[in-house]
Amino acid sequence: MIDLSLGQLGLALLLVGVVVLVSLRQGLGLERDLLVGSVRTIVQLYLVGLILAAVFSAARWYLVVLVVAVMTAVATQAAVSRLAKPIPGGHQIAALALTVSTAVTLAYVIGVVVRVRPWYEPQYVIPIAGMILGNAMTSAALAGDRLQGDLRSRAPEVETMLALGFSGREAVQPLVRAALRAAMIPTVNGMMTVGVVQLPGMMTGQILAGSSPLLAIGYQIMVMFMLAAGTAMASLLFVRLAAGRYLTAAHQLRRYLL
Amino acid sequence: MSDPIFAVEHLTLAYPGDRGRPAVSVLTDVSLNMARGGALTLVGPSGSGKSTLLRCLNRLEEPTAGTVRFDGRDVRSLDPRELRRRAALVMQTPVLFEGTVRDNLWLRPAGTPGDFSEARLSEVLIEVGLEPLFLDRDAATLSGGEKQRVTIARALLRDPQALLLDEPTSALDPPNAALVVETISRAREARRLSIVAVTHQPELVRHLGGSLLFLVRGRVEAYERLDGGASAIGDARLQAFLAGESPRAVPAKP
Repeated sequence: MIDLSLGQLGLALLLVGVVVLVSLRQGLGLERDLLVGSVRTIVQLYLVGLILAAVFSAARWYLVVLVVAVMTAVATQAAVSRLAKPIPGGHQIAALALTVSTAVTLAYVIGVVVRVRPWYEPQYVIPIAGMILGNAMTSAALAGDRLQGDLRSRAPEVETMLALGFSGREAVQPLVRAALRAAMIPTVNGMMTVGVVQLPGMMTGQILAGSSPLLAIGYQIMVMFMLAAGTAMASLLFVRLAAGRYLTAAHQLRRYLL
Repeated sequence: MSDPIFAVEHLTLAYPGDRGRPAVSVLTDVSLNMARGGALTLVGPSGSGKSTLLRCLNRLEEPTAGTVRFDGRDVRSLDPRELRRRAALVMQTPVLFEGTVRDNLWLRPAGTPGDFSEARLSEVLIEVGLEPLFLDRDAATLSGGEKQRVTIARALLRDPQALLLDEPTSALDPPNAALVVETISRAREARRLSIVAVTHQPELVRHLGGSLLFLVRGRVEAYERLDGGASAIGDARLQAFLAGESPRAVPAKP
């Protein structure tokens, strides 16, 4: 793989310069954001590169666990920050859903499927954990957003069910199902079109790094299955727990939280 | 009152404030007593807590303080699902689920007692003034008045002791509203039902009789019996409300 020099990266930055020119000409007002975005891209990736290089060379299990824990914390924050109104205890719920879904999927992939030795080999654990987390985060956020919106717009339906003597869990079941479907659709659609519409990032990276496309597809197939499991688990856990926050033990809908 | 169906004592309800703001008080020190087979109408300006009070009776809302007794027992000692079967709620906007009228009448949790046979479904439809042919109609194609009568049929099918009505006619045009008022009055007489209704319609109040409770900002402003006729009402605002010809007349703001 060709190593990119600073000069070559400077040439790449000229591409952003073109966008800045367009923004100025068309009065888009994006120059400031583009500048900040470019600086953040450089600084964030450089720092991550330094940290990962250190973790890779140290190759200690606790450092790998720490990195994955930090990634989980950031993903948790991102998953709940997009909600229109905070879910009570939303942070704990998201942390639990992301930790459990990522840990289970990661353990299976690392321990049973790929059989990495030693199990904490950072070169495998960190990127795979990142992929699972990123997708789990997006699906949990989608599911939470949909559930919250539906609870607001379909509260009369839920309360009609409650008034007919259904339990809280039974009354929100149609909404939970709708939220899970909404969260799973991007993953399922991704499985339908993968490789045909665009090459997935991981496969692209492997091919650029010199792997044969046949090795790359092997990993990509595993990744698709792994993401399906991770997103399903994360959104199911998150939606179930979040729906519970809107209900009481006496089968009441806490409407004032909506 | 020796054997009330509902007895509410010093009921207070406040929702926790949003992000550090003070709690929102909805009901303050509300007490009432209602005889078995009686009627009670809750009136007051919008936002006065009428619907919330009604929803405390079948425990869809949880009071902050005070007690609600149903049939002699604190509602907190009853299974809420059982309570809601015995005190059936009909909401302002009828909610019918996907499917036929029959599907909607059938809708119930596993283990709900009662007769849900075809003959009984037809019977209940006739009771609310609809043809048994309606059983096979798609619920989505019904008119507003028909939908509301189906939700009343759905409630009656469970043989409730009390019917809780949350503005049952306010989403309907006058002819349909009149039909629903008639349906409610008929069901009440035939079944000796206790009825609590939130309404802005003097028409419904006159039909039901019983007592009238006037709520303003969550407090009881007046609580009067109607059996002496409108002239026996002490509160001038309630008198004006009852005399109102307009179906949507609301007691004047205090």
